[in-house]
Amino acid sequence: MRFTKTTAALASGVLTLGLAVSSAASAGASRPTAKAGGTLAIGAEQEPDCLDWIASCSGSSWGAWMVLYNTLPQAFRFEPGKGGAYNYVPTSLLAGEPTLQTSPKQVVTYKLNPKAVWSDGVQVTAADFQYTYDQIVNGTDIYDTTGYSSVESVTAPDPQTVVVTYAEPYASWKSLFSGGYGLMPSHILAGKDRNAEMKDGYTFSGGPWFAKWKKGVSITLTPNPKYWDKKPSIKKVIFKIIPESTAAFQAFKAGEVSALYPQPQPDALAQIKKGLPGSVTKATGDTGNVEALWLNNNKAPFNDINFRKAIAYSIDRNAIVKRLFGTLGVKKAQNSFNPPIVADYADPAGFSGYTKDLKQVKSLMTGAGYKKSGGYWTKDGKKASFTFKTTVGNQRRALTAQILQAAFKDAGFQMKIQAVEAGDLFGEQLPSGNYQMALYAQVATTPDPGLCVIFCSANIPSEANENSGQNWTGTRVDGLDPLLEQVDVEPDAAKRAELSKQADLLIGSSVTSLPLDPLPNILLYKTSIKGKVRDNAVMGPFTQMNYWTLKG
Amino acid sequence: MIQFLGRRILYSILVLFLASIVAFVGTRIAFDPTARLAQARDPKVRIAEERRLGLDKPLVVQYGRWLGRFVQGDLGETEVSQEPIAAKLRSGMWLTIQLLVWGVTVSVIAALIIGVYSAVRQYSVGDYVLTTFSFMGISIPPFWFAFIAIQFFVFTLPGLFGTSPWFYTFSGSLHSDGVSGFNLDYLRHLFLPVLVLTVQNIAGWSRYQRASMLDTLNADYVRTARAKGVPRRQVVLRHALRNALIPVVTVMALDIGLLFGGLVITEQIFSIPGMGRIFVSALDRGDATMLTAWTVVAASFVLLFNLIADLAYGWLDPRVRIT
Repeated sequence: MRFTKTTAALASGVLTLGLAVSSAASAGASRPTAKAGGTLAIGAEQEPDCLDWIASCSGSSWGAWMVLYNTLPQAFRFEPGKGGAYNYVPTSLLAGEPTLQTSPKQVVTYKLNPKAVWSDGVQVTAADFQYTYDQIVNGTDIYDTTGYSSVESVTAPDPQTVVVTYAEPYASWKSLFSGGYGLMPSHILAGKDRNAEMKDGYTFSGGPWFAKWKKGVSITLTPNPKYWDKKPSIKKVIFKIIPESTAAFQAFKAGEVSALYPQPQPDALAQIKKGLPGSVTKATGDTGNVEALWLNNNKAPFNDINFRKAIAYSIDRNAIVKRLFGTLGVKKAQNSFNPPIVADYADPAGFSGYTKDLKQVKSLMTGAGYKKSGGYWTKDGKKASFTFKTTVGNQRRALTAQILQAAFKDAGFQMKIQAVEAGDLFGEQLPSGNYQMALYAQVATTPDPGLCVIFCSANIPSEANENSGQNWTGTRVDGLDPLLEQVDVEPDAAKRAELSKQADLLIGSSVTSLPLDPLPNILLYKTSIKGKVRDNAVMGPFTQMNYWTLKG
Repeated sequence: MIQFLGRRILYSILVLFLASIVAFVGTRIAFDPTARLAQARDPKVRIAEERRLGLDKPLVVQYGRWLGRFVQGDLGETEVSQEPIAAKLRSGMWLTIQLLVWGVTVSVIAALIIGVYSAVRQYSVGDYVLTTFSFMGISIPPFWFAFIAIQFFVFTLPGLFGTSPWFYTFSGSLHSDGVSGFNLDYLRHLFLPVLVLTVQNIAGWSRYQRASMLDTLNADYVRTARAKGVPRRQVVLRHALRNALIPVVTVMALDIGLLFGGLVITEQIFSIPGMGRIFVSALDRGDATMLTAWTVVAASFVLLFNLIADLAYGWLDPRVRIT
C-alpha cells in the first residue's frame, strides 16, 4: 500500500471543495434574524385537506388553528376560565352578549358590531349569518350539521341584527357561527359554488390575516389592513409543513422555525427534557382531549361489572400519567370523561376513588367466581385475559400499553397487546364491537359537555342508526340516557352542570370505561416572540398572533 | 427495433393493468378513507362520505369506474380533498425529479470515479479507504444518516466557524419564501437531501463499478492493448471503462426507475412534498384513487427505465443490438 500522487491529489481536492463550500455558504449564511414587524416561521405537523370549513374534507385541527380562526369572523371565542374550564366569550364581531329567550321557543338575538367589515370593506351583516346557515343545512357533503339542524329560521330585522329561532331547545347555541365554522361572506359567495371557491384557498378575510396556501409546503399569513380590531404588527407568518417530529425539532433548533405545537409523544418530550436554549415551553393538561381505556360492555370479560371494577382498582392511574407526562408537569389522572375544558360539568368523584387497591381487586374477583392460580385470576380453567387494542405507530400509546400490561400482570390479569391500523380500528373494529379493551382519545372541540354521543344507548351501533352510532362501548346504564339527553338541551347552565355531574357519577359507578389521562398540549416558541403567546385548548395557540411582536 | 419496442409496450400495459388492480384492491381492503370521520360529532357524515366515494358499491364496480376514467386520461380526484390527481402528481414529480437529477448526476460521477480508481489502484490505501466508506454507506440506514448529516452540517460545522447554519433542514419547495430560480438559496435547500440520496447511491454503484472494472482490466483484450503500447490512460478510459459500464448502467437505470417512485424517507425528513410524501399521505388517508394512479405512474417509470437500460446496453455493446 502506498500514498500515491493521485491519492494526495484526491485528498487535497476534497479539502479544497469543503473550504470552498463553507466559505460560499458563510458568505450568505447569516439567516435573517427575527425583527420587529418581520417574518415569523412556525412548524406545522399537518396541513388541512381543504379550506372549505363546512365540507367533509375539512375537520383538520391544524387547518382551523392556522387559517379558519385567523380569516373568518366568529361570534364567540373560547377562553379559559378558572380551574381550566373554558367559556364562550363574545368576539368583537358582536356589539355585546346576545340575548337568549327560552320560551315559548328558544330565540337568540345577535347585535353586530357596525365596524366589522370584510377585507373588501363590505360590512359583516345578518346576510352572512343567513348565508352560512343556509349552506350548512342545505348544502351537500357538509361535515357537521349538529345544532344548525335544530334551527328553525335565521331572520334579519335589520342588517346589524340577527334573530335565530330554534325548532327545539339546543343548549350549545353559542357554538353556532363559531367553533369549527365561523361566518362566510354572502356578498362574495352567494350564487357561486362555495366549495369550489374555498377548498383550495380563498382571497377574502374577515379576520386579522389573509391566508395563502402552497400545498404540501406552507401556509402564509399576511395582515388584513381592513381588520377592524387589533391589526398585526408582524408582516408575515409562514406555517411550514413539517410532518416528521424529529425534523421539526431540528428546524426549531436551527432557527428555521420559531414555534412548534408538537404532539406529546416520547420523542418530543425527550427533546424538551434535553433543553431547547432560547425558547419557552408551555405545557398544560387543561385540554379537550381525554385518553381512556374503552371497555366493550357487550363482550366478555367486560360485560361483568365486577371485572370492570377490578380492572379499575388494578392500576395506579396517577403514576401512569406521571410516567407519561411528568416532564411537562402533568401528573394527575383524568377522573371524568368530560375533559378539563368543560371541568364545570364534571364531577371527578365519579372516578377519583379508583386508585390501585389489590385488596379490592381480590374481593371483586373472588366475588365473581375467580381464583388465583399461577399468578393469574382463573375461572373454569381459563385465565382472566383480554386483548388490548390501540393504534399502530403511536409511540406514546405503545409505551402506555407496556406500562399497563405490567401493571395488570401484577394484579393477576393477562393483557395481550394488539396494535391496529387507525383506519381499521375506528372504521371497523370499534364500531362492530370487535374488541375488548381499546386505548384512544376522545377530543372535544367546543367547551360544551356532550357525552350522549358516546354513552347514550340509542347511539350503540345498530340498524336503527345505520350502524353509525358512536357508543362503541355498548354502554347501557339505567337512568343515564335521560340525564345525558337533557344535558344536550338544557339552556340553564347551572342545571346543565348539575345534570352532567349526576351523569358522571353514574358512569363512574358502572365503570363503563376508564378515563386515563388528559392529553396535554405543548407550545414551544423562541424568546424573540413577545405578546399574548399562550395556548388555547380549543382554538390552538395561533389565534392571537395579531397581538404578537418579534424582537430581533 | 420497432417490433421490440412494440412488444415492450404491450408487456408494459399488461404489467400496469395488473399493478393497478393490486394497488386499488389492496388499498380498499386494507384502508378505510372514511375512518377519519368515525369520531365526527354528526355520525351521518360518515355514511354520506361512504356513499359519495361509492364505497357502498362492490369492489369490482369501484375499480371499473376508476379504470373507465383512467383510460380516458382522467386520473381522477383525491378522495378526501377532491384535488385533481394529475396536477398533484405533476407538482410532486417535479420536486422528486429535481432531487433525482442532482442526486443521480453527482452519484454517477462520484461512483464512476471511485469505482475506476479503486479498481486501478486495487489494494492501495485509497482503495481500502473508499471501500470502507462504501460499505459504511451501504450499511447506514438513510434516516439515521439524514439526522447525522443535519447535526453535522447544520449545527456542528457552522458552530466550529461561529456562523449560523449553512444549509436548510426544511427543504419544502427547494426555495425560501419569495425566492425562485437557480441560486445559492436553491443549492442550500438541495444540499442535505441530495447528500443523503447520493451516499446511498454512490456506495452501491461504486462497488458495482469496481467489480466490473476489475473484470475488464484482467481481460485478454486489455492485456493485448497494454502489450501493444497503448497509453495506460487510454486503456483504462477508452477500452476498459466502456465495457465495464455495461452491467453498471443496467443497475443504475433500474435503480433510477425505482427512485422515481419517491424518495420516501428523504422527502419525509426534509419535508419535501414529492412523490414519496404523496404516497405516504395517500396511504395514511386510505385514498385508493390516488394510490392506484401513483402506482401506475411509478410503475411506468420503472418500465421506462428498464427500456432505457436495454437500449443503453445495446449502445454500449455493439454486439448486442436490439432487433
